[in-house]
Amino acid sequence: MEAATQEALKKLFESKLNKAMRLYLDTCAHCGLCVEACHVYQAMPETKYTPVGRAEVVRKLFKRYFKMQGKIAPWLGEVIELDDKSVNMAYEAAFSCTGCRRCVTVCPFGIDTQQVMNIAKLLLIGAEKQPQILAMLSDMSIAKGETWKETANDYIAALNNLAPEVEALAPTPPGRPAIPIDVENANVLYVGLSGKHSIVPAAAILNAASENWTISHFEAVNFAAWLGDGEKQRLIAKRIIMEAERLKVKEVAVVECGTATRVLKFMTGSHPFRIVSIVELIARYIEQGRIKVKPGTISGTLTYHDPCQLGRNGGVMEEPRYIIGKLTDKFVELTPNKEANWCCGGGGGLISLGEHEFRMKTGKVKVDQMRASKADTICTACENCHTQLTELNEHYGLGMKVESLTNLVAHALTGFGA
Amino acid sequence: MDPQAVSAASQAVVHTGFALFLDKLYYFIMVPLVYISVIVMIVGIVAKIVSIVRAPIPAFSLKTYPAKKRPFLAALGDTFGMPMIRKEKPLFWFFLMMFHIGIFFLFFGHLDLFPGVNLMPPESRHMIGAGAVGLSVTIPTFYFLFRRFKGQERHISVPSDYLLLLLLLFIFLLGDMISWGNSWTANGFVMTKADFKNYFGILKSFSFVDPRTVLHGSHYHFVVLHVFLAELFMMILPFTKIVHTFFSLPLNLLRRR
Ligand code: HEM
Ligand code: SF4
Ligand code: SF4
Repeated sequence: MEAATQEALKKLFESKLNKAMRLYLDTCAHCGLCVEACHVYQAMPETKYTPVGRAEVVRKLFKRYFKMQGKIAPWLGEVIELDDKSVNMAYEAAFSCTGCRRCVTVCPFGIDTQQVMNIAKLLLIGAEKQPQILAMLSDMSIAKGETWKETANDYIAALNNLAPEVEALAPTPPGRPAIPIDVENANVLYVGLSGKHSIVPAAAILNAASENWTISHFEAVNFAAWLGDGEKQRLIAKRIIMEAERLKVKEVAVVECGTATRVLKFMTGSHPFRIVSIVELIARYIEQGRIKVKPGTISGTLTYHDPCQLGRNGGVMEEPRYIIGKLTDKFVELTPNKEANWCCGGGGGLISLGEHEFRMKTGKVKVDQMRASKADTICTACENCHTQLTELNEHYGLGMKVESLTNLVAHALTGFGA
Repeated sequence: MDPQAVSAASQAVVHTGFALFLDKLYYFIMVPLVYISVIVMIVGIVAKIVSIVRAPIPAFSLKTYPAKKRPFLAALGDTFGMPMIRKEKPLFWFFLMMFHIGIFFLFFGHLDLFPGVNLMPPESRHMIGAGAVGLSVTIPTFYFLFRRFKGQERHISVPSDYLLLLLLLFIFLLGDMISWGNSWTANGFVMTKADFKNYFGILKSFSFVDPRTVLHGSHYHFVVLHVFLAELFMMILPFTKIVHTFFSLPLNLLRRR
């Protein structure tokens, strides 16, 4: 590696050293408590797949370049140099971590491996070794923020084509389109994904609640969060924030996507509007009697997978259970669940990266949990988890049905006209 | 036999050559280096804390859910109760608790040696715990060390982890020896708590008197070694993972609020 690159990487590293990072990098006691907490390690018991093993790649670079110890007695902490080898190690560490933060809850100091991995990811960007797919998808999202007006008409036409599907689930309130767009002063701005499965059920629920809502021109997904590019992450989120400001909405409801929800809700500062997950909104509608669901639309037993970014990292754990309680009385929990739930293995952008073999291997703990639940259907509230669970179900021949919570609700809507 | 007589006799010998060098070295360790190491420790910790306080605050909350109603109390609970360790590895938790509570008492045990401080009755010949505190840190240290020789603990350990534990082990074993060994000799306590109080009095008064004038007894070497290793520990403290002493609470606050 050239000296200039090394210098540039050191600068990038330094730019990440906020209070939390310094504490994380200085304090790990190498106690090993986090080792068993990682689903990747559970499936592939190698040191490089332990949370502490991952963080050590970054920590050893930190010691080498930012601590006296690494200069006086490098062998004490087995420091490493910034070179091609360590950059490869950083790749393996960062992109085998789904950022589920299960390890954070187990570590006696709460060291956040996902955050530490963001340093590794930034170094990869600096060394131009970042995963190109995520970089490309991020750039496309940002470009969409600039060119959306050019494609708006096509988008609106496509939305109109979905009207019959929405109306098959719930009637549209009089005088409104089935999928409204660009509605100023709407109560709710709903941000979906590109597939209609992320739009139709949500639209039906919002219409059933007679909500004054509007749909976003953008996808909620934030590829740059997985890429570890803070600036791009901000730009992608900003498109939606600006849209909400432009339309002066009261609330932004984010599609079932854990990462998008976490980024928008917690990482964009404060706004004159609220940001919630669609799951929270649905729970509220049911609670307020604005929508009604009929029980018994799901055959057999149902279980729920807590998406890490929504549950442990986003605090939405009771709402899905409340909703499910209205849908069925044959609900069984996965063990463990809520904040201790195992990651499905699809987070951290691994779905977008492909990584099928790795994901199937590391989803093993989840599969064991699914099997043990003996449930007929598993539902979740995250697009990534849904994809991963579907693939795990097929790969391991579990014979379960994999569902999205919003979709289950949309198909159980009843008693219209609140 | 009067122990004072023995040590007075040994003192009467005039040292030359290597013995003289040792005398000087021992003096350096027992007096000036105590001050130096305390200063290094304090300056090091302050510098470290300042570097962290001055670093930018994270742009968003790093907490995990469910959110606690009283984040500060929750962080205190995490810090001093280590509930996750108790759940995941009860034996490890037991030793950690024993160790850290022991460290706490050790601190006060040493504080008690300063003249004027009487946490134990002044007439007591023992430090706080009468040797039990020493054991309560020594036994866990053996456990901490041995567990690093197998499984993933071995792979995630770096040389400094072992060296730190070895350092502690030697400090503790020497401490145990000083506090216990004395009572096993035929002449009982050769260096009593009162003698150590005199030594701490020298330190407190900055009189720079040779501690040999108050610490009689032929195992003075072990006392010097105990003090030297403890000084090493203090001097490296701000630069090792022992900074968790200061950072455990702020770290747990990060995940709670
Ligand atoms: C403030 C509260 C404290 C907490 C929450 C805490 C927590 C911990 C934890 C979780 C470990 C396990 C690490 C391991 O197995 O290596 C540990 C080890 C240790 N702690 Fe603390 N600690 C605290 C205060 C202190 C203090 C005051 C000292 C003494 C100066 C200290 C000295 C040590 C040492 C020497 C070890 C053993 C390191 C090793 O095993 O390699 N700790 N502590
Ligand atoms: S965040 Fe999740 S995947 Fe990453 S190291 Fe921690 S437990 Fe493993
Ligand atoms: S649990 Fe925390 S302190 Fe212990 S090894 Fe893992 S990251 Fe380090």
